[in-house]
Amino acid sequence: MDYSDTADRISLKVKAKGHEADTVKIEGKLRRLVEEFGVPPAEAERTVMNELAREFSLNGLGTAAGEEKSLNALMAGEWATVEAKVVSLTSAPSSAIAQSGILADSSGAIRFVVWAKANAPLLEHGKWYRFESAVVDEYRGSANLKIHSGTVIKEISRDTVLIPEVTPIADLTPGIGSVRAKVIQEWDTTHDRMLQSGLLGDETGTVKFVIWKEEGKERLVPGMVYTLYYAIVDEYSGRYSLNLNTATVIPEEGDIPVSSGDTRFSGALVHIAPGSGLIKRCPVEGCNRVLSRQNYCPVHEIQPGFIYDLRIKGWLDDGMVTKEILVQREVTGQLTGISMEQAKELAENNPLGMDEVFLRIRDLILGRYLSCSGREIDSRILVNSCEFLTFNPEETASLLNRAGGAS
Amino acid sequence: MAGPARGTFPRRDFEREPARRVFAAELRESRIHFREGEDEKSPTYILLPTGERCNRIFLVGTLTEKKKQGEQNLFYRARVVDPTGTFFIMAGSYQPEAMQQIARIDPPAFVAVVGKPNVYETPDGAVLISVRCESVTAVDKNTRDRWVLDCAKATLDRIDALGTTPDGQRAVEEYRTDPALFRKLVYEALSQLSL
Repeated sequence: MDYSDTADRISLKVKAKGHEADTVKIEGKLRRLVEEFGVPPAEAERTVMNELAREFSLNGLGTAAGEEKSLNALMAGEWATVEAKVVSLTSAPSSAIAQSGILADSSGAIRFVVWAKANAPLLEHGKWYRFESAVVDEYRGSANLKIHSGTVIKEISRDTVLIPEVTPIADLTPGIGSVRAKVIQEWDTTHDRMLQSGLLGDETGTVKFVIWKEEGKERLVPGMVYTLYYAIVDEYSGRYSLNLNTATVIPEEGDIPVSSGDTRFSGALVHIAPGSGLIKRCPVEGCNRVLSRQNYCPVHEIQPGFIYDLRIKGWLDDGMVTKEILVQREVTGQLTGISMEQAKELAENNPLGMDEVFLRIRDLILGRYLSCSGREIDSRILVNSCEFLTFNPEETASLLNRAGGAS
Repeated sequence: MAGPARGTFPRRDFEREPARRVFAAELRESRIHFREGEDEKSPTYILLPTGERCNRIFLVGTLTEKKKQGEQNLFYRARVVDPTGTFFIMAGSYQPEAMQQIARIDPPAFVAVVGKPNVYETPDGAVLISVRCESVTAVDKNTRDRWVLDCAKATLDRIDALGTTPDGQRAVEEYRTDPALFRKLVYEALSQLSL
C-alpha cells in the first residue's frame, strides 16, 4: 500500500500552520500503524495527525475531527464534521441504538445513527446541530453517519429553509431520495408489522413503497399524488424500494402523468411450458398455488374444492433474446378464443381432460408471432395485453432494398 | 431498473438460448461446431457463415415429406422447405412431444419448428445438418411469410455486422464468407413472397 498521498496531506496541513513536517517519517508511522498494528488507514491518518498536533500544540487542524464537509461530499470510511438539520427521526430498531433518522443540509441528506453508548444528548426533530468527529460508513449500499462517544454535538441556530430536490423515479439511487409521485397500486401486506405497501409512479417509472407500523404513520390514499421528502431508497436484488417511515409526506393537489412501467416485446412463441392451459388453484385464502393432478397443494395438501384458472406460460423469442411470458386468464381467452367456461367444458367432456385444453392452446399459438406488453419482473413479463403479428407486405419492399441495395 | 451490480444476484443461473433465424441455404453451408465449456452439459453451437453461433433455431416452412423409422426406437425424419432450400428435421423418443406433433401433421403443410441443429459427417466426408426438433406446429401461410421477413432481416443484420464480433471474425476466416452471396440469397427469398 502507498502512504505517500496521506503523508503529503498531513505534512501540508502541518506546514500550513508554519511547522516543519518530515513526510518520510510520517509515512513510516502510517505504515507501522496499518501494517503492524492493523489500524484502518483513516484511523491511522487521524492518529498521526493528532500526534503531530500535540507535538506542535496545534489546534483546529481539522483532520482529527475530520474536515467540515457538506453531506453530499461524505465518503464511507472517513471522519467528518458536519452541520445539519434533523429532518426525520425513526424508532430505533435495536437497544444498541439511541436514535436514528435522517440529517439534511442544503447539499443533500444522509442517514444517521446515535449509538446508545455515545451518551449523546437527545436530538430533536427540526433542529440544526454541529457534529464534530462523526464517522461515515456504509450501510446497505449508502453512506451513513455514526455518532459515537467521541462525537461532539452542539446545537446551532440556523434559519435556512431546506427544500430537498425531487428526483425522477427512474433516477433514484440507494440512500435518501425525495419524489413526487402517485400511488398507483396498493398491495396486500405481507408482514404483521407492515402498515401499507404498493407502487408509486411518476412520468419516468414506478417504484415499490413500504410503510412500517409506527405511531403517527398513516396510509397513503391510492390514486392520490404526494410529495415525499427524505424517503429511504433501499435496494433488494437489483430493485429499489422506498421506505416511507422517514419521509415527510405532503399530499398534493391534482394529478400527474404516470408511466405504465410496461415492457413491450415481440417475437415468436417458441415454447409453451407445462402448467399452461386450464389449471387448478388452491382455494385456501391467500394461497392460490397451482395444484398437482391429484389436487395436491404443496402447503395445504389435498384440496378437492379447487378453483379453475386459465393461463399460458411460455417463451417469446425475437432471435436475439428470449423472455418468459406469463399470460393471465382474460388475455389467454382473447388470444385463443377459448374462454374459461369453454375450457372447463372441454376438460370435463374429453378423455384427455385438462391436457386437451393444453394441446388445443398449443396448436393455436405455438410457433406464432406475438407482441406482448406487461410488467417485466426478472426478465419475465406478466402480460396484460397481447396480439398476433401478421405478415406485412410493406416490409418486404424495404428488406428487398436492403438486400439488393449494397450488392 | 438498471441498478448497480452490487447486491444483485440472478434468480436464474442460466439464460435460455435464443432461437436464431436462418435460411436453409445458409444452414446447409455451416461446418464448424463446438462446445462452450468443458462440462458434459455445456451447450453446443454451430457457427453460421454469416458469423453467429447458434444452439437453437426457429424456422417456418413447408413440410413436404415425413418418414417413420426404427422399430424399438421409433423416430421421424422429415423435410421442411423454405424459399432457399431444405431443412432436414428429426424427432425421436427423446423428443416425444415433437414426434407426436409430426405424426399428426400430413404433408404438405406449413409448419413452425423449434429445434437444435446438429452437424454430422458421413464416412465419405460429406457433412449433413439435421435439426433435432423440440416442437413442430402446423401454422398458416401468413406465419410462414412473416418468418421469411423475420429471417431475411436477421440474416441482413448478421451480414452488416460480419467481422465485427469474435464469432464474426472466425466466420470470415473459416468460411471466407462472401457477403454479396448471402445478400443475393436473402433477395431471392424475399422475391418469392407475393407483394
